[in-house]
Amino acid sequence: MIRILLRYIILFVLTLLVLAGLSFSLAYLFPGDVLANLTGITAQNEMQRAALAQQFHLDSGYIVQFYHYLKNLLTGNWGYSFISGMPLSEEVRLALPATIELATYAMLLAIVIGIPVGCYAGLRSYTAADYTINSASMIGYSFPVFWLALLFILMFSLEWNIAPLSGRISLLFEVPPKTGFILIDILFADNINRLLAFRDALHHLMLPTLAISVISIASMVRITRRSVIEVKNKPFVAAARTRGLSQGQIFYRHILRNALLPILPLMAIQITTLITNAMIVETLFSWPGIGNWLIQAIYQRDYPALRIGMLAVAFMVVTLTILIDLFNRVIDPSREKYERVAV
Amino acid sequence: MPMLDIKNLTLEIDNGTSRVKALDRVNLTIKSGEIRALVGESGSGKSLIVAAISGALPDQFYLTADRMDWNGESLLSMSSEQRREIMRRDIAVVFQNPISALDPSATLGEQLEESIPAELVEGKWFWQRRKSRRKAAISTVHKVGIKHHRNYLNAYPHQIPTDIGQKFMIAMALISQPKLLIVDDPTRGMETTTKTQVLKLLTRLNQTRSLSILFISHDLLAISSMAHTMTVLYCGQSVESGRMKMLRKRPLHPYTKALLDSAPSFRHDLPPKSILPNMDGTIPSLKHVPIGCRLGPRCPRAQKDCVITPAVRRIHDHTYSCHFPLHMEKL
Repeated sequence: MIRILLRYIILFVLTLLVLAGLSFSLAYLFPGDVLANLTGITAQNEMQRAALAQQFHLDSGYIVQFYHYLKNLLTGNWGYSFISGMPLSEEVRLALPATIELATYAMLLAIVIGIPVGCYAGLRSYTAADYTINSASMIGYSFPVFWLALLFILMFSLEWNIAPLSGRISLLFEVPPKTGFILIDILFADNINRLLAFRDALHHLMLPTLAISVISIASMVRITRRSVIEVKNKPFVAAARTRGLSQGQIFYRHILRNALLPILPLMAIQITTLITNAMIVETLFSWPGIGNWLIQAIYQRDYPALRIGMLAVAFMVVTLTILIDLFNRVIDPSREKYERVAV
Repeated sequence: MPMLDIKNLTLEIDNGTSRVKALDRVNLTIKSGEIRALVGESGSGKSLIVAAISGALPDQFYLTADRMDWNGESLLSMSSEQRREIMRRDIAVVFQNPISALDPSATLGEQLEESIPAELVEGKWFWQRRKSRRKAAISTVHKVGIKHHRNYLNAYPHQIPTDIGQKFMIAMALISQPKLLIVDDPTRGMETTTKTQVLKLLTRLNQTRSLSILFISHDLLAISSMAHTMTVLYCGQSVESGRMKMLRKRPLHPYTKALLDSAPSFRHDLPPKSILPNMDGTIPSLKHVPIGCRLGPRCPRAQKDCVITPAVRRIHDHTYSCHFPLHMEKL
């Protein structure tokens, strides 16, 4: 177990190093002054410029520069935004949780709806119910997310007026960002009607979450269905049937667990799609998340923000993927067999 | 009255374009307290019979039979709930490949304990019942010859050797105290001492609890030492069936004779280094089954009439399906 953990940690650190290297090289690849790209501060005079160059060791070789870049990254000195002049660490700290929040709710929705529906379709495989669910999930999976989000805005916001068009919460409520997750922040906020604020936030959350989760639910249904059908035809299920176990016992004790095990690593792959979709949807709903923030940075040629934004998103995806894989390793008993010596 | 009575069991496999008869009018009866051996080459349909009796057939298999009775009740016409009840209490099956027949994500102990029928568990509260289940599991595991139950009850199927898995399958079958035990090649992959142990266990259960056993194996020596009656299967047809002694002394069907002759342990008169007699050719694949008697093309006694499927003939409790049987002059 310790060896597995160590292997994952090494993998994690190496991947992050490559990503950091990439983000460091961006400072050179972006047009403009390297020092300005790296720090986000445009030097006003020679003295300030010399001081900054000294701090980032720009006169030394690339390796030394990279080493100091890493050191700055780890201490939280990520540079400043060209546009707002705010420290980037502060901006990312505000934007990233908003995206994570959106993606988490979409994922939860996908799990809560997708897995039971997928199981049902798998158990009733090749019947009318199964074909209906399968085609519905195919249609849901084929929707382009930006178009679906626009459609939702058109229908729910403009036509029927049951959901707000954009933003995270009505401007009437002042919620100080503490954790960055709006639903949690509301609970900590003072001087507002928490219940009303909560309902308002949920209203705002509804459309973007739905838009993202349609695709996630559809793919979850398909993965689960496939997996259940596969497990259903395994010999041990037939053997359990000959032992006279009931359908329910067979499903809950033998099919479900074996079907869910291969779903987990596939979920890790889904996360990338999910976050990409979340970033696209954010721009459409003016959701103050990292996707929206990055798009703004691109429009405004905010190179330091792009550099750090890329690193932050990549860090999040890599961490989640590796964590899910590790979790799967821990709970799947048959995966430890690689450690055993074959006689 | 026989316990399990199967007459003219036909199993057809739909391969998209046509239907192939994988089992062609097989007859099989098992009396209470009897050990019946079912022998035949690989691919003769032995495991299909097991699947047909236990109801574990895939969807594209079509089963028809004139009679398939369990203690006078028809297995074919009863509801799936009744069928399940019979499988739970009366019939137990040990499958050929133990590792794939065990759930890879559950420990062996869990799987063994879930096979115990609820009415055999003592106690009223769940902790008493859990204790009773554990006790039953441990004693059954000891009975089949697994000494270190601590190591194995908490192990997962991929962690155990095949012979332990095989014994575990037997334990799982025995724990519901069945009346009929169907064992599909239970001693495969075991070394001689373990094999003897398992065979002794089966014989003892047969004698003490009058457990009926349908014993499917390639091991003719083991069969002849423990079975009372034998049914010989060739390419999905039951060719001969009768008491073990009669079959060994005077096989009527040419295939039975060839099968017994091919086992050196039965041939005390076989001179050293002589060629072991065997039948030419191999068992035909299901796509190219001959018409009539399926042994026809390989049979040394085949004649023109063999293209018509021979009817089942009976001499006392010895049945055979052959137009030109052996040893008739002696009868």
